[in-house]
Amino acid sequence: MAYDFSKPQRQSAFGIIIMAAHTVVKLGKAFGVLIILAFVKTPSNYLAYMVLGIGLIILLSFVFAYLWYINFTFFLDQTKQEFVVNKGIFNRDQVTIPFNKIQQVNINQSILQKIIGVYGLKIDTAGSNGEEVSIKAIDEASAYNLKEHLLNKKAFNVDDTLVEQIHNQIKQTPFLRISSLTLLKVGLTSNYGRSLLSIVAFLYGIYELRHLVDSFKIDKGEIQSTLSSMVSIATFIILIAAILILLLVINLVRTFYKYFELEITKHEHSLLISFGLIAKKTTLVSPNKVQISKYSQNYFQKKLNILNMSLKQAHFGESKKGHEMQGNTIDIPGCNLKEKNELLKMILGQQPLNGKTFVPNWRFLNLPIFFKIVFPVAVFLIVGFNVPEVKSFFGLAIPYSVIGILMIYISYRKHRIAVSQYFIIKSSGIWDISKEIVSPNKIQAITTFQYPWHKSIDVGHLCLHTAAGKIHFKYGNYTEIKLLVNYWLYQVESGNEDWM
Amino acid sequence: MQLFTNDTIDIPALPKYEVVELYKPHSNYWKIIVINLLIFLGIIGIGAIVLTLTLVEYRAEAKFIIGIYSALTLILFLFFRLSFKNRGYAFRAHDVMCKSGIIVESTTIVPLNRIQHIELNQGVFSRMYQLGTLQIFTAGGQTGHIRISGIPIDEAKSLRDMILKKLDLTENQITKNAE
Repeated sequence: MAYDFSKPQRQSAFGIIIMAAHTVVKLGKAFGVLIILAFVKTPSNYLAYMVLGIGLIILLSFVFAYLWYINFTFFLDQTKQEFVVNKGIFNRDQVTIPFNKIQQVNINQSILQKIIGVYGLKIDTAGSNGEEVSIKAIDEASAYNLKEHLLNKKAFNVDDTLVEQIHNQIKQTPFLRISSLTLLKVGLTSNYGRSLLSIVAFLYGIYELRHLVDSFKIDKGEIQSTLSSMVSIATFIILIAAILILLLVINLVRTFYKYFELEITKHEHSLLISFGLIAKKTTLVSPNKVQISKYSQNYFQKKLNILNMSLKQAHFGESKKGHEMQGNTIDIPGCNLKEKNELLKMILGQQPLNGKTFVPNWRFLNLPIFFKIVFPVAVFLIVGFNVPEVKSFFGLAIPYSVIGILMIYISYRKHRIAVSQYFIIKSSGIWDISKEIVSPNKIQAITTFQYPWHKSIDVGHLCLHTAAGKIHFKYGNYTEIKLLVNYWLYQVESGNEDWM
Repeated sequence: MQLFTNDTIDIPALPKYEVVELYKPHSNYWKIIVINLLIFLGIIGIGAIVLTLTLVEYRAEAKFIIGIYSALTLILFLFFRLSFKNRGYAFRAHDVMCKSGIIVESTTIVPLNRIQHIELNQGVFSRMYQLGTLQIFTAGGQTGHIRISGIPIDEAKSLRDMILKKLDLTENQITKNAE
């Protein structure tokens, strides 16, 4: 049987049921607690109204689903090489997807779809935040046929061929291997912030537990007295030391668990990275899919000659709900300078040159100093003058301001963007100084903006959008920024270089 | 293979995005904004009236509520008017740009060869005034996309077709280069 998708057509009528069920489930999830509460709280003589109301909601869901079904049509435009979807109940929306922009076509089946015997088809385009097209009900043969139609216009799928190559390849000697000693160094010197957060979460958990104990009134006196005596025994210094040690231990365990025996093997067009202690993870990275290459180093790491690298790839299927798909950033902790240069060369094709460096205006300092130093300190002082207990801590405002201003000043000194013909290097950071490297052809869009009161002094901001995130350069010379933007636009638009 | 040249690029002589003359949204688009605003304010207003009528304790604050309500109305109209005034868009041979902002004026530029897909939306009121909203998506995620509202629908359609045609052309070129 030939499948003709060239005429606008509706999906399977079962889609009404699927869509209605989908809406009911969604509403149920959103108002479930309320409904249950209402059931429990309302007197029994109103129960009939409740049931009626729910029945009405389900009926309305079906009406909506029907309207949605009637207005949802799709077809393949062979001449323009596009997949076109018309949809919308009240609005009339048309989504047009050129075949070559389609990243993935997923065919799947939920429980309900399984019962009815239809399939769902979803089309992913790269990282777009618009509606991904999804067809809710389509029979199996049409689904696979449509998938073929949608994908066969694409050039060969790079990933598949690469995976095959990997299977066929004999074991190669890795070009980079992170030793346990290096991992130890990494564990001791990085990710303090994240570990601190997990400790705070842990302590908060204990605190909550105490509340739970309180509310259940089980041996309340005993446990509370132990807790308070614990606090009184543990002096401040011991507590701090314990937290620091805990921090290091958590860091070490995490680093070892995650990156044990990290190896990078070079293949024809890609890098094979494998790591992990218990769950061994293997990832294949093709260099031209890496959008941003980043490396960072702090003071200790500089002394130990180690760097943390991460390769950011385009996040596909970024959902509308805002949570990005994980696992598209590959971290390589603990390379040394030579290995870093090798890796960069492999990914970028050449050693990135620093080029011309642009520095931000001193006004960069204004807002952070106001909002992070002046404003909180002022609030603190005002409170202090009114609450005598706080007054004795006034001294703390001085070290806070000094350290804060120092940190903001460092972040200003490190906020740089360097531009050469093939690379844009953005550096930033306070403790961990990081450098992000992008080639101009990875730019997806450019935004420039300026506050009206900065017009006279020619200061403005720049944001480069890539498929793996944004790169900001703030408080730069606006004339220079405009020149750069024109240059990058020229580079992107004159060349036909693809971004992946 | 083409003859390879590598001339020095005279950056200041490149086409400048900042001097491009921008099109403004259609003046009817302001009417749509006003209709939407009035509906929104109407709902809030009805809510406030119902609240003050049912709950006695709020009745004494009626003046206060009216004050807040009119302030909200004023601010909303001012902001939307500013935002409407600041909007602008332009299509060049190789890119699309769009200016927006209430206080901060930001310009976003999307090269045509980075466009992922295009959407043409038409709301209920837009349909009354024959206007449409053109959305241009890139792989740059949430912020790297352009939304141009208040274009006459015919113009929007022809712009969409023009871009799609351009996309095809660049794709063909790439495949040719690959071959």
